Amino acid sequence: MGLMLAYLPVGFTTASVQAEGIEINNVETRLVENVYWLNADIDFNFSNKTLDALKNGVPITIELNIVVSRHRDYLWDETIATLQQRYQLQYHALTKQYLLKNLNSTSIQSHSSLKTALAALGNIINFPLLDKNLLEDHQQYSARMRASVDVEALPVPLRLLAYITSGWRLSSEWYEWPLKH
Amino acid sequence: MAFKALTRITLGFWPVAALFVLLLISLYLMSAATQNSQQFGMLFSSLLVINLLGLAVLIILIGANLHRLWRQYRNHVPGSRLAVRLVIMFIILALTPVSVVYYFSLQFLQHGIDSWFDVRLEKTLEDALELSRTALDAKMREYRKQTESMAKELAETPSNQASFLLNDLRERSGAAELTLLSQDGRILASSTVNPTTNLPHRPDDNILFQLRQGLTYVGLDPIGESGLYIRVALQISHADPMTESRLLQALYPVAERMSNLADSVQAGYSQYQELSYLRKPVKISFTLTLSLVLLLSLLTAVWAAFYSARRLVAPIRVLAIGTRAVASGDYNRRLPLPPNNDELSFLVQSFNDMTRKLAQARDSARESQDKVEEHRTYLATLLGRLTSGVLSLNKTMELRTANSTAGHILGVDIEQVLGQSLDIICKERPYLQHFVDILQPHVEGMEQEWREQVVLFGAGGRQILMCRGALLPGGAGQEAEHVIVFDDVTTLIQAQRDAAWGEVARRLAHEIKNPLTPIQLSAERLRHKYLKVMDPKDAEVLDRSTHTIVQQVEALKEMVKAFSEYARPPQLQLRTLDLNQLINEVIDLYRADDKAVRITTRLDPSLPHIHADPGRLRQLLHNLIKNGIEAAGGANAVAHISITSGCVQQPGFKVAEIRVCDTGPGFPGEILANIFEPYVTTKPKGTGLGLAIVKKIVEEHGGVVWADNPREGGACIVICFPVDSDLTEGHTHALANHHTAEAGGKQ
Repeated sequence: MGLMLAYLPVGFTTASVQAEGIEINNVETRLVENVYWLNADIDFNFSNKTLDALKNGVPITIELNIVVSRHRDYLWDETIATLQQRYQLQYHALTKQYLLKNLNSTSIQSHSSLKTALAALGNIINFPLLDKNLLEDHQQYSARMRASVDVEALPVPLRLLAYITSGWRLSSEWYEWPLKH
Repeated sequence: MAFKALTRITLGFWPVAALFVLLLISLYLMSAATQNSQQFGMLFSSLLVINLLGLAVLIILIGANLHRLWRQYRNHVPGSRLAVRLVIMFIILALTPVSVVYYFSLQFLQHGIDSWFDVRLEKTLEDALELSRTALDAKMREYRKQTESMAKELAETPSNQASFLLNDLRERSGAAELTLLSQDGRILASSTVNPTTNLPHRPDDNILFQLRQGLTYVGLDPIGESGLYIRVALQISHADPMTESRLLQALYPVAERMSNLADSVQAGYSQYQELSYLRKPVKISFTLTLSLVLLLSLLTAVWAAFYSARRLVAPIRVLAIGTRAVASGDYNRRLPLPPNNDELSFLVQSFNDMTRKLAQARDSARESQDKVEEHRTYLATLLGRLTSGVLSLNKTMELRTANSTAGHILGVDIEQVLGQSLDIICKERPYLQHFVDILQPHVEGMEQEWREQVVLFGAGGRQILMCRGALLPGGAGQEAEHVIVFDDVTTLIQAQRDAAWGEVARRLAHEIKNPLTPIQLSAERLRHKYLKVMDPKDAEVLDRSTHTIVQQVEALKEMVKAFSEYARPPQLQLRTLDLNQLINEVIDLYRADDKAVRITTRLDPSLPHIHADPGRLRQLLHNLIKNGIEAAGGANAVAHISITSGCVQQPGFKVAEIRVCDTGPGFPGEILANIFEPYVTTKPKGTGLGLAIVKKIVEEHGGVVWADNPREGGACIVICFPVDSDLTEGHTHALANHHTAEAGGKQ
């Protein structure tokens, strides 16, 4: 265990004190010029297994799922839109950098430590969520968001282990908030 | 319906074959996915679930088959034992090689995967990575110095002119991008080699923090798709401490060749590292795939074992059911032919042929049996309707066949004695002994044809039987039999005799009695006319002659009258009477008026009553007593006559016996046999009809009479009357019925 810790970057040792898992601290939406913009603050605390895999060059894929739905009194809520943002985090051994790749836009950021990489991942600023024209007046809308590690994107041999052992299927609770007109 | 469909699916060949092929394809894909193929990698989890479900379906199918077989085994369904043995054999045959292959495959897998990884290879890769870093380090140091000198230049340049200088500096240094930032990371000015690209690449917070501490950051950065860059960032130190210090970041492109090599080393190292890390999961995945493949093969083999056992046993089961049916006598069952044209099919075909032939044979046997039965019934009816008795005997005198008339005549219940030897039958019925004695020499002598007349005195009284025998030629393997046809001719002979004597009597009346009266009248007229006119000497002759004529004619008349009385057909007036009382009445007459006669009686008080005509019996007794007196009497001698009565009981019948004995000389031996024939007599006087009439009366009552010379001397006449028998017509019938009733009672 001590040996393993020695490999890990300094940022990790402080993060490992916190409970492992993903937690959405805060999400807010602002309506600017008929577009909803989203700001979110998410804490990623990966398990040792995930960090170990990451350190050994296994890319970890993180998903952000956002669902916008309309409230209905007598039926289940109607889904208006679903959005998915996927990020891939990978360790670059040669440069000792953590590469954070946005799989939706293929833009890559490199971070010198895991901590900054995760902080960048967890700090979503001005993400365009929805055009207001899609929503009708006098209706109640809400959005919910969940962040999780995509097990299906793991290498095949690891996938089976990920399903049958703990520490892999990291996911936050659904965080729900109302969309104000 | 649904159950049938389900059964077809669980038992049918094609559904399971299709399932097997599907699972095989799915396993192939899974195996491809395990080897990290990009195409099927996405499907891995769903393939795993599909395979597990498929295996579960197979297990359920096998379970259903097992349950079915177990139920059949428990219920002793034909063929189930064989099916169990076949299934066990097939499973063992499949399990053994599969287990061996599994074991060795697992060994190869473990060692094979381990052999991929090598400490030296790992070290080499690490060294290569280090070498790349070292190679780049030299470049980095050079760029650092260059950047530091640029920073000095910029430090002396006011902020508003910095952007121009940046361009100039970038072009001079060969950097791809130069960026001037504020302390908090805001971009103040930037110069890039390619202005169309995105925003300047801002250093992350970690670097900014480091820079604010006054440190210089030099690092390799893989930026986007454009390859490796060397990033140098530092704080521009100002001479004037009041001026806000700025940060400079320079991005230098790494030479393309070097960048490519470094990428290649990075990729190789990273891949090896990942593989090494995934060693255990890979082993697990391969083992899982291998296990699934083997499990699929094994389960399919087990299912195939059930299927082929069922297919193999099906015709045998059908045969077993068919054999049971044949054993229980059902020859009409035809077995369905199995679809394959093999030996089993040939066996079933042969079985069907066999049962068809058996059914034919049985039908024809039944037909001929029916014919024989019909024939036998016809013969039995024919024999039953015959008025003659018919018997058939084998050589050992065993009774083979007899009709009912034979039973009536002999007074025997035929059904009871069929199959018994005549000797045994005679032991119970001694009155038949005479009948048997006469038959025996003919039967045992194998005579072709013979005729005999037999006189029996049995239950039905005296019977005269006319027997005709013939030898039946025995067929192949059958012993020869004697058939004996006999008729009860008692009444026939009686009638014939009566008719004969009647005829004699009629003739006598006509031919003798009629001329007698004119003779007598003529003689009396001669006497009357010439006796007075003749001289005394002639008159005396005439008187004597005519007297003799008249006297003799009178005697002739008496004789004819007596004879016609004998020949007259009997007019019996039967009633029940006590024989003892009748005897006493008759004797009383003799006791009263004749001292020369002494009659002693010894009468059995238990003598049963009989049916008889009392008048005729009186005549009978008178005749016998007179006969005795005449035989024993004579000059001064006292005739001593004894009369005995008694009941003689024999199995099957009962008789009342009367013995009349005298003390006379007895019957002469030469006439003893026909003493009862008319005009046979030893006496100088008498009609010669006395004993003939006795015999006639006895026979009219169905009795028998015989004469005897006892040893103590004298003559003895024995008469037997049947008891309890109706002496009118059909008496034998009544007796036979009596016998049947007795037999029924015994049963």
